[in-house]
Amino acid sequence: MNGRELVRFATHSALSHRLRSVLTALGIGIGVTAVVLLTSMGEGLHRYVLEQFTQFGTNIIGINPGRSTTFGASTGIFGSVRPLTIDDAEALKRVPFVLNTVPVVQGTASVEGGGRERSTNISGVGPEFQTAFDFRVALGTFLPADDPRAPRPLAVLGAKMRHELYGERSPLGELLRVGGERYRVIGVMEPKGQVLGFDLDDTVYIPAARALELYNRQGLFEIDVLYDKAVPADEVVAGIERMIIARHGGLDVTITTQQQMLDVLGSVLDIVTFAVAALGGISLLVGGVGIFTIMTIAVRERTAEIGLLRAIGAGRAQIRAIFLGESILLAGIGGAGGLLVGGLTVVLLGVAVPALPVGIALPYVVAAEAVAVLIGLAAGVVPAQRAAALDPVEALRAE
Amino acid sequence: MAMIRLEALGRTFEVGGQQVRALDQVDLTIEAGEYLSIMGPSGSGKSTLLNVLGLLDTPSVGAYWLDGVNTSTMGDDQLAATRQAQIGFVFQSFHLVPRMTAAENVELPMLLAGIGGAERRERAHRSLAGVGLADRADHRPAQLSGGERQRVAIARAIVMQPRLLLADEPTGNLDTGSGAEIVRIMETLNERGLTLIVVTHDLQIGERARRRLRLRDGRVVEDLRAAQA
Amino acid sequence: MTFGDCTRVAAGALLRYPLRTAMMLLATAIGVAAVLVLTALGEAARSFVTDEFRALGTHLLVVLPGKTETTGMGPGLMAGESPRDLTLDDARAVLRSRAVARVAPLVVGAATVSFGGLERDITVMGTTAAMVEIRQWRMATGEFLRDQDWDRASPECVLGDTLRRELFAGLQPVGHWLRVGDRRCRVAGVLAPQGMSIMANVDELVLMPVAAAQQLLNVPGLFRLLIQATGRETVAGAQRDVVRILKERHRGQEDVTVITQDAVLTTFDGIFGALTAALAGIAAVSLVVAGVLIMNVMLVAVSQRTAEIGLLKALGASRRQVTRLFLTEAMILAACGALAGLVLGYAALVLMRALYPDLAFEPPGWALAGACLVALGCGVGFGILPARRAARLDPIAALAGR
Ligand SMILES: Nc1ncnc2c1ncn2[C@@H]1O[C@H](COP(=O)(O)OP(=O)(O)OP(=O)(O)O)[C@@H](O)[C@H]1O
Ligand SMILES: [Mg+2]
Repeated sequence: MNGRELVRFATHSALSHRLRSVLTALGIGIGVTAVVLLTSMGEGLHRYVLEQFTQFGTNIIGINPGRSTTFGASTGIFGSVRPLTIDDAEALKRVPFVLNTVPVVQGTASVEGGGRERSTNISGVGPEFQTAFDFRVALGTFLPADDPRAPRPLAVLGAKMRHELYGERSPLGELLRVGGERYRVIGVMEPKGQVLGFDLDDTVYIPAARALELYNRQGLFEIDVLYDKAVPADEVVAGIERMIIARHGGLDVTITTQQQMLDVLGSVLDIVTFAVAALGGISLLVGGVGIFTIMTIAVRERTAEIGLLRAIGAGRAQIRAIFLGESILLAGIGGAGGLLVGGLTVVLLGVAVPALPVGIALPYVVAAEAVAVLIGLAAGVVPAQRAAALDPVEALRAE
Repeated sequence: MAMIRLEALGRTFEVGGQQVRALDQVDLTIEAGEYLSIMGPSGSGKSTLLNVLGLLDTPSVGAYWLDGVNTSTMGDDQLAATRQAQIGFVFQSFHLVPRMTAAENVELPMLLAGIGGAERRERAHRSLAGVGLADRADHRPAQLSGGERQRVAIARAIVMQPRLLLADEPTGNLDTGSGAEIVRIMETLNERGLTLIVVTHDLQIGERARRRLRLRDGRVVEDLRAAQA
Repeated sequence: MTFGDCTRVAAGALLRYPLRTAMMLLATAIGVAAVLVLTALGEAARSFVTDEFRALGTHLLVVLPGKTETTGMGPGLMAGESPRDLTLDDARAVLRSRAVARVAPLVVGAATVSFGGLERDITVMGTTAAMVEIRQWRMATGEFLRDQDWDRASPECVLGDTLRRELFAGLQPVGHWLRVGDRRCRVAGVLAPQGMSIMANVDELVLMPVAAAQQLLNVPGLFRLLIQATGRETVAGAQRDVVRILKERHRGQEDVTVITQDAVLTTFDGIFGALTAALAGIAAVSLVVAGVLIMNVMLVAVSQRTAEIGLLKALGASRRQVTRLFLTEAMILAACGALAGLVLGYAALVLMRALYPDLAFEPPGWALAGACLVALGCGVGFGILPARRAARLDPIAALAGR
């Protein structure tokens, strides 16, 4: 008997107990569906988070004051011994392959304008911010390239901020009070949405030096460095380190490349996806128990048939192959059905709830089907072995 | 050289710590082309003997030479291959696979032997035609009468063109008419050179054989040849 | 047929096929055990995090400078500046509220400490004597910061346990002088090991008087105020008072955010509760698979026992009785499976507790009851089809075994 005939034989006997075979395959199918659904949610989360992080490009390096050994909250956010200054940001522009640097100061303040008041996020940034992060201006212009140490009091509003204060009116040229100081509105940004919980539209952009004054601090929050994509990040980081050491007399900053961040995030999210896949695997395990049980029953039920096959010359290996084939077939078909249902559900979810981040995790889909087939194999081994070991005379007597 | 030679062959079963001698000191020689019937009371070892002859069972003591080869030297795979190529079985309860059509049942041995699909269908059809069931090829066992089922079983038994046909009470589940038909078919095969061994309780059928064996308590107590009788 | 007889007959039928029965029990047991173990995991995570938060102290409020309309745990709160600093005077003013028991002002920053040629980058926390009581820290040796005028930048400090080990290997640190940034300070005491906490790794901290830290880090304002209310009931009142007092002091502007520990706890409770429920749901899927298996095997049993069913009917069994017989079988399977699952699950939990003694693995009551109910429900639900099929068998055909 060759492979194709084996499959035909197995299909034939599986079809002769239609309901039973369907239910057996269903057990595996539910498990595979669970794996597909869960991993696609994991994958969706993965993609969503990575998208959030990469939407500003991957060729960005963040410099935070203070040295921290572990990735994550740099102690520098609490303030540091040697502050990062606007001069540092200017100097870093001279590092090879650096295209642009953006000084950043962040905080909250009460903002008054258009007869209303609102507590909101304040981003003190440089004029390069707009191009570096690819933000588009809806109205007017972004902050101009003033003297970075003494910029004019100009402000650009986030889309939501403009709406809250001025409604549909154009705010261009209006006066705005930020923490008591007067600014003139020269632009409005296009809506950008939230990034990891931080509403970019509920923000007022002012020059970094003015934000430092507002908050009465010497040090910047962060300097973002945009570098030439063609150059490896390590080279740029080395240049930045040399510059900081030259200016500060030591490396008292934390340099984080986008890539590092993505790597760490990526591996964490991979673990999450793996964990949910394993959870879905519990159902697959139960489905495997089902196949085992049904195959054991089948061997018992078809003892006479086994005896006959042996009488007409089937070897043990052939009997084993027949039952293993049937078990694998059931699991494989169940798995394929699960893939179909799971995949369709994911697609439908994607259409019905576009906001829900789902994406089919192909490696897991393939793995789920492979595991289903393996489970069929594992669950079939003992019953098939039992069938092969049956004594033909005994088997024939069974009726 | 005799086709089959049994020497002091015995087969014992252990049942609850007790030894049951199903076959005891059987010496037997069967030539190719013989027509043999085996009779005897229930439990006398007829089926056991047939199973041993058909290589389904192995003797506890003694030797069984098939075509000059001591079968105790054969491994499981070799036994299976020999059954496949040389031996056909017909059972009292037919043993057809219920989910398969008559033709598929007949194809089964060829399927196991790895014969290609087209040839399988062709040979199965010829074999079914040989037992007069060409028009019932697509029927399932449940749609056939007892006699027809047994004819399908015979078609299956001979489709590999064996040299030995073993039948264990082939008419036991049939009425007299169908039984006679089955016997006639098998005898025709025997006339063409097939060695035929039939176990039966039916005296009329048993006496048609040229050689008649009688068993009692696992021993051959009578071995009559028609020529001598 | 009495209930007892019915059960006996059903159990007898199940025992006739021990392997098959064992497999169905195993399938159900895996499902139930999965629910138990996964919910216990979720619960353990929840209680770990909330305990950590509780360990920050009791009846706590945290005041952060700055305020946005969108309150929550967003980065706006975690890291931001507000135009008006929180000052030590603010901290003193807060004490006026009768609902407030203690206030600890906090300043945090990075600095380099050095001692005897060893140097290390650490986190400096400037605070006051109240801190040790609010956080309920224990001292390993020496004293905590003295209760003194908050404006005095006395040159003293307290070390975390890791720092003591790394800087003073073997040495008794109390009384030694340490260089922190550009200042020198005397080690007054060492904290007992505290382990990781939500806010920072206390073992790696250097604590200094708040004024000293402000000078060292060159920050005029405070990073946080840690406030302890007088009791659980007064937390809300304390929050109102703090907001009111600070608003008055900041010329009528509400430019601080006050978070209560309870609010944070509630948020975490909610998140982890949802997580546990989701885990339970995933595990319950395997119970459905087990139910499908039970249905499948029962269907097989019905077809195998056709003759037996025919006989029962010929002897006068009603459809109802046959249905009940098979449903009882399914129930027994589900119940025993659930029981086995409980045993299996608790065995796994014992193992997990042995491996991670710090975590409290305890499945919530609802998961326990829910898993058993779903198992029983699946047993009965999936048992209906086979039982119906058995009951509808035609007795004559059934007797003929067809
Ligand atoms: N597998 C077995 N285990 C135990 N005892 C067996 C076994 N097979 C046969 N026997 C015993 O061996 C003896 C011969 O059995 P066998 O089946 O060969 O009898 P038989 O002549 O074919 O009887 P019948 O005419 O009733 O078919 C009987 O006593 C039977 O009980
Ligand atoms: Mg017999």
